[in-house]
Amino acid sequence: METFKILQNYFQQLPIELKFVWILSFILTVFAIIFTVYLKILRISLRKKEALTIKYQKEYEDLLLSFLFEEIENNELSNKQNQFIKKIENEINNNFKREIIVETLLKLKNEVSGEIETAIQDIYLKSNLKEHAYKQLKSKKWDKVANGIKEFTKFKVKEAYPEIKKLIKYPKKEVRKEVELYLVSLFHFEGLEFLNDLKISLSEWDQIELLEELQKLDNQEIPDITVWLNSKNDSVVSFSLKLAKIYNKYETVETLLKLLDHKNQKIRLQVIDVLTHLQVLDAKDILKNSFKKRSQEEKIAIFKMFENICELSDEDFIVENTTNSNFEIQYLAIKMLKEINEKAFNYLLKSQNKFKNKELLKFVQNN
Amino acid sequence: MKETKNIVLAEDNTTLSQLLKFRLQKEGYNAFIAQDGKQAISLIEQHKPNLILTDIMMPFISGLEVISHVRNKLKSEIPIIVFSAAGQEEMVLKAFNLGATDFMSKPFSPNELIIRIKRILM
Amino acid sequence: MNTTTLNTIIQIIHYLFFSYAFLAIFSYVVLSIISAFETIDYFKKNSFVNYKKILSSNIAPSISIIAPAYNESLNIVENVRSLLSNHYANYDVIIVNDGSKDNSLELLIKAYDLVKINYLINPQLKTQPLRKGVFKSTNPAFEKLIVVDKENGGKADALNMGLNISNSKYVACIDVDCLLLEDALQKMVKPFLEVTDKKVVATGGVIRIANNSIIKEGKLMEVNLPNKLIERAQILEYLRSFLLGRMAWSRLNGLLVISGAFGMFHKKIAIEIGGYDTSTVGEDMEIIVRMRRHLEEQKVNYKVAYIPDPLCWTEAPDNYKTFVSQRNRWTRGTIEVLRKHRKLAFNPNYRNLGLLSYPYWLIFERLAPVVEVIGIIYFGILLALREVKWDYALAFFILAYLFTTLLSLGAIYSEELTYHQYKKKGTGFKLILISLLEPFVLHPFVLYAAVRGNLDYFFNKKKKWGEMTRKGMGNINK
Repeated sequence: METFKILQNYFQQLPIELKFVWILSFILTVFAIIFTVYLKILRISLRKKEALTIKYQKEYEDLLLSFLFEEIENNELSNKQNQFIKKIENEINNNFKREIIVETLLKLKNEVSGEIETAIQDIYLKSNLKEHAYKQLKSKKWDKVANGIKEFTKFKVKEAYPEIKKLIKYPKKEVRKEVELYLVSLFHFEGLEFLNDLKISLSEWDQIELLEELQKLDNQEIPDITVWLNSKNDSVVSFSLKLAKIYNKYETVETLLKLLDHKNQKIRLQVIDVLTHLQVLDAKDILKNSFKKRSQEEKIAIFKMFENICELSDEDFIVENTTNSNFEIQYLAIKMLKEINEKAFNYLLKSQNKFKNKELLKFVQNN
Repeated sequence: MKETKNIVLAEDNTTLSQLLKFRLQKEGYNAFIAQDGKQAISLIEQHKPNLILTDIMMPFISGLEVISHVRNKLKSEIPIIVFSAAGQEEMVLKAFNLGATDFMSKPFSPNELIIRIKRILM
Repeated sequence: MNTTTLNTIIQIIHYLFFSYAFLAIFSYVVLSIISAFETIDYFKKNSFVNYKKILSSNIAPSISIIAPAYNESLNIVENVRSLLSNHYANYDVIIVNDGSKDNSLELLIKAYDLVKINYLINPQLKTQPLRKGVFKSTNPAFEKLIVVDKENGGKADALNMGLNISNSKYVACIDVDCLLLEDALQKMVKPFLEVTDKKVVATGGVIRIANNSIIKEGKLMEVNLPNKLIERAQILEYLRSFLLGRMAWSRLNGLLVISGAFGMFHKKIAIEIGGYDTSTVGEDMEIIVRMRRHLEEQKVNYKVAYIPDPLCWTEAPDNYKTFVSQRNRWTRGTIEVLRKHRKLAFNPNYRNLGLLSYPYWLIFERLAPVVEVIGIIYFGILLALREVKWDYALAFFILAYLFTTLLSLGAIYSEELTYHQYKKKGTGFKLILISLLEPFVLHPFVLYAAVRGNLDYFFNKKKKWGEMTRKGMGNINK
């Protein structure tokens, strides 16, 4: 009691700014204590959650495996399936458990094909797991919407198409991306229709994901991509160039050659890369003629292209560039010269003194 | 007298490896599961299996190293089947160069795997 | 001198100190809040990203991991193994043995079946020449590995050699003893690929302290809190600076430094600006500042991004001597970089870089230890003159202490909500304890090192990197 009175008196006689400081300190201390307590609670709950997750994971994994294994033995598909579904139906209403169930199903489904995959798919469709996914589509939070779409993609639920189609112009790009992945995953090349009037940029990451999805199919009925190659949306052009490369679309060569004059350098570089892959000889003259006007990067790319398809007729062009100031071009030029005309190369060796970079010559000579 | 054949399976997806283990046991094989390349090698050295199944992408030592170890260090001709995720052509080529016997790309059908195993262990 | 003038001067000095402290505190609060938002945002966006797709894709861009090594024979074989086991499809590992005096090269040759090859190096950046040469493996399982043995030139020089050698689009510059998690490359390369409205030129990663954690064969098995106070205090410090500081700067597009232990760059741009500067000890900060400066001058719409996920684990100094040496070097590095690029200061031509980042770094990072030392000296003078107003002193010291503690608690809280790496029982309590102790256990040494750094910078030009005795992460067994 005494100490408290002393403290109280002390506080009263302080100037106003110090009183303020002490009050602030007091508030911070309270915060610190709350933080500490909350931290403890948080850690305990996280630990519990983790233990539970592991427990449930094991439980559902064993359940699923026993069902699948028995199913293989007895061929009593429907009966066993229904039993499994009944078992999990109650659990599904709990968000935490449902997530783990879906995760367990997918963990296996992603790795296998054939009977077992179909069995898992069936479980998903027959249970009311998809009801929850539908609910998520209607959520106000964008990450829940995206999650719902993703689930439908993973379980290949075609009937969700009408609902998902509505979301194609959703304001958040993560959601739009999921919609695109859904369309491509389930409807393959038809699902790429959205490229026709896509106004926003499709990022490289998205493009890679879509291409990976497409590549999973064995049956490759690739449609005509000329429309997309001529799109005003550069990212669509870029995407279709990737398609041209992966699926070896030789029939697009004419359009590709026209694209060599596209206003976007990245596109031009990509076109040169595709032409390199397809080994299009027709491109050589066009590129030789416009060589000097092109940027350094394009010149290097052009030389990389010539590496595989150079012929004697290109000799002048190559010799001209054996003295190019750029290291990479110079190297490729000298290398190609050696290949197509060894005499000319040896002549070059003799006049070594013109070259600042003698190592370059020696290297090509010895390899 | 038919002795039970031993198979070492290196796969870090526990659900998949359990499923395969059941399946293999049903067919009459003894299956030993490893979660990573290192464990796989120690199981191989311990049990001297008749067949090795391995995923390529694994923690620690990759599937490729497992193949390399078995063929080059242990100088063994045990048949090896590799799994790989789709699109890893290069990996598959490397696997064959190192001495793999067969490969299956993921996702794969367990039934087909069993058929291939039976063919190899004939 | 007139007493009133003296009083006025003292008042002004006090106000200056208070304003500085207040601004510093205010900035920490603002940065913490922005960081919190940015981290939550990152989490949401990436909670359902499927990284596995990218890793096996052939269309995913090529990345070179460049790791300079100097006298790392104790661990180098394990470290390289760890780097080779990354789950990315399209990458290679370039180890630059920077004129090591030990048998690092021999150990690598033996472990990975290396043979010398003829390799044509594009001399885009000037470096020290090769010594024993370039080596690759005869075993296809180690096809991704390139080892370069060159004359000693320092870390920056070794990195530049790596840049010359790499044929990839992106380079990840790391410390060779850094443990990278399996999906580190995917996560780091993602910003480069997914941002469409700006050009991402570099991404930085969070560095986590691995002391006392269990690492076997190059894989992180268990995360433990280290035992020594100095190690724990550093963990807290890193959490504060990464989770509450750098995330905010990333959002403001004002990041001035990407840790040299783990950073990814657009290779072409790195070479375009001339690679790393070999004349500074703060080469990791210097290259970012120079890169930004160059891009601002070119009026390119760019971004330096940041990944908060724990992707890189490394060893922190566990004794005060090494610690001080490290912080000394960091201080000198900061001073060197700020001086070299002083044209940026308050220069509106450089937008955020000149008006926000540089001034902030100058005033609150570089000058903070100076202000603090002046403050201590001033307090000492007042003490000697018996002019100390103890009421004020007490109140403010306690406020400052509480504030620092609260900030640390905030960092711990952030960490628990996001990555929750320290799961063991009792760690929570230990972390809170170290929050209370850090101002006494670590901060004085930070200050001391900063002072030494300043003195060394101005008066002792001969100091360079200093040695850090390797304890060997692989030797920590349970």
